[in-house]
Amino acid sequence: MNLNTQFVFEAKQKRVLLGGMALGVICLVLSFLNDDEFHTRFWTNYLHNAVYFTGIAFMSMFFLAAQITAFAGWNTVIKRIWEAMSQFMWVGIILMGVLAIGVWGHLHHLYHWNTPGITDPNSPIYDKILAGKKGFLNPTFYTVSVVGFLALWYYWAFKLRQASVDQDTKETPSFDYYKKQRKWAASFLPIGGFLSTVFLWESVMAVDPHWYSTMFAWYATASLWLASISLTTMIIIYLKSLGYMEYVNRSHLHDVGKFLFGISVFWTYLWFDQFMLIWYANNGEETIYFKERMEHYPILFWGNLLINFVLPFFILMRNDTKRKFGTMFFVALFVFVGHWWDFFYMIKPGARIAAFEAKEMAEGKKPGAEVAPLSEAAPKEAAPATEAHSAETATHTEAAHATESAAHSAEAHTAESATHAEADHATAEDHKAVPATAEATHEEGAHGAHAEQGEHAEHGAHAEHGPDKSFKLGYTIPGLEELGVFIGFLSLFLFFFFAQLQRVSLVPMKDPYLEESLHHDTGALVEGEDDGHGDAHHH
Amino acid sequence: MVSDSKQVLYGLYNDEEDLKGAIRAANAAHLDIMDVYTPFPVHGLDPILGLKESRLHYLGFIYGTIGCLFAFLTMTWIFTSDWPIVFGGKPYWSIPAFIPITFELTVLFAAWGMTLTFYTICGLWPGVKAQSLDNRITDDKFCIAFDVTAASDNAVDGLKQFFGTTQAAEVNIKTM
Repeated sequence: MNLNTQFVFEAKQKRVLLGGMALGVICLVLSFLNDDEFHTRFWTNYLHNAVYFTGIAFMSMFFLAAQITAFAGWNTVIKRIWEAMSQFMWVGIILMGVLAIGVWGHLHHLYHWNTPGITDPNSPIYDKILAGKKGFLNPTFYTVSVVGFLALWYYWAFKLRQASVDQDTKETPSFDYYKKQRKWAASFLPIGGFLSTVFLWESVMAVDPHWYSTMFAWYATASLWLASISLTTMIIIYLKSLGYMEYVNRSHLHDVGKFLFGISVFWTYLWFDQFMLIWYANNGEETIYFKERMEHYPILFWGNLLINFVLPFFILMRNDTKRKFGTMFFVALFVFVGHWWDFFYMIKPGARIAAFEAKEMAEGKKPGAEVAPLSEAAPKEAAPATEAHSAETATHTEAAHATESAAHSAEAHTAESATHAEADHATAEDHKAVPATAEATHEEGAHGAHAEQGEHAEHGAHAEHGPDKSFKLGYTIPGLEELGVFIGFLSLFLFFFFAQLQRVSLVPMKDPYLEESLHHDTGALVEGEDDGHGDAHHH
Repeated sequence: MVSDSKQVLYGLYNDEEDLKGAIRAANAAHLDIMDVYTPFPVHGLDPILGLKESRLHYLGFIYGTIGCLFAFLTMTWIFTSDWPIVFGGKPYWSIPAFIPITFELTVLFAAWGMTLTFYTICGLWPGVKAQSLDNRITDDKFCIAFDVTAASDNAVDGLKQFFGTTQAAEVNIKTM
């Protein structure tokens, strides 16, 4: 077995990948031409894929750095894959730079906070919440955190890669180049760990600028991590199918599979944490995010959990499935597309609202539909009374919608508006529960009914001038253009990756952990497993 | 308990690679190994001993499923019919609020179930007397043991010879 092999990026592979890139460009152009006046579909497709593939490069670097720091030895034979993947951040700087230029030049309306005058108290479109976030959501900080941080990470990735490449030819008996890698890896962890949160807040979470979640960056990072692991899995299996990496055995695949399984559970944990905290607190400006997605984007919402949790969890739970090349490729492919789907879910619904708001403002209206209640012009002390009043009005105007018994409604009408003021805490869910409670008086029941009618009224208002919530290809679910752009960006990523991979030997020959990695054996005992693919029982 | 006692002939090796070589030699000579003891899990030992994959994890899945259903159904019963209370304005049957406890009980049932099953299979229960051929096999020695209760002197000599040729550091016989 010749370890010192070099990957050869053949003309045929280049042609296929260039074809993929051409498809991506065609689909980007198509979505640009066949679009609304703000080219929302084009820009969201661009943002979605730029963040996804740049994030994969970042997480490959982060994962590699974490493993080097933790003295991991099993992965030495595959670490050149992560090194090459991390170099894509260089392209990412350009991709994200285009978005930053778009922010400065107001070329796109991905970010509602970037609307001119929105933070100006004298402007008719003044938004109090966004004015409060001005120090964070502004073009300068956007550029620093989205392009600047990326450039900083790339510097580390470049240095780590350089130390690894130099190790092949210049390594000393005291492992100076290995130690150099350790320094770059360990120092990257805090830099990458802390700054990636800001990167994701600015680039993805700020698409919904009124909304915030402290779990968001974790959850999005876990998503990128899985994207990186699943792409790594597919690349390993592809390289093996070409005859490279015969020293990568089932045990290596098993460990990659454990990460794919474990981080999928971790992702689900974070996804659910974010959901449950917001669901439990029931804070209007936070809950609207999920309400919007569950009601109008159910395929995205539930599909996300199905592909990214149910599928990898039940397939990879068994020992033997993580050791099968075919099964692993299948799961990795689903998880890879699944997390692309996850980012689609994070970006598209919010951007659709932002585009609607931009349209409203272009028509000279004050955006109202999706702005959180806090930003309403009503003075603070009068707010509860105002809301109660609107709820009462709603009861009158929407009497036909009353789903509760007439008795309840009648009582609600006669009740004092001061008592009604308390109803502003009640949600539609409340209403289902409250009348059923043995302790609930009629009056409380009436509150519930009243509150719901209030909500109905609000919905009615939305339906009149709110953003269109109906099915729309490219927003409700990814369309063919989205898939084409995805393939285009993936081809770009792989083209760059293979070009980087062929620069040096596939195995870091002088790495101190090489022997451990070559003899890696998880000790898993799976019946009927052949010794093909270089299974580790060669002692 | 005389009738239960066993004569065990065992050899101690200094290195796991010597041990694995010796097991291969014993397999080639069709010797019936009673058991092998090592101070730590030795990778690659199971296939040469012909051990099958443990079925314990199938039970783990079943225990986990029981815990999952138990938690979810119990909470459903409590919060919808036994003692319904409104928490934070949420519906009685609030699935998201049940998930953390469902998860915890799934893990708890799987962990306890597998642990107790494992102890039962291995005959470990409170008050059981520790049976150890040699205390050093929990430290730095690797051991192959043969049951020689019913073996002829000839056969025992053959086994001793086997230990000699495979470079066992020590050979002992013990009644357990």
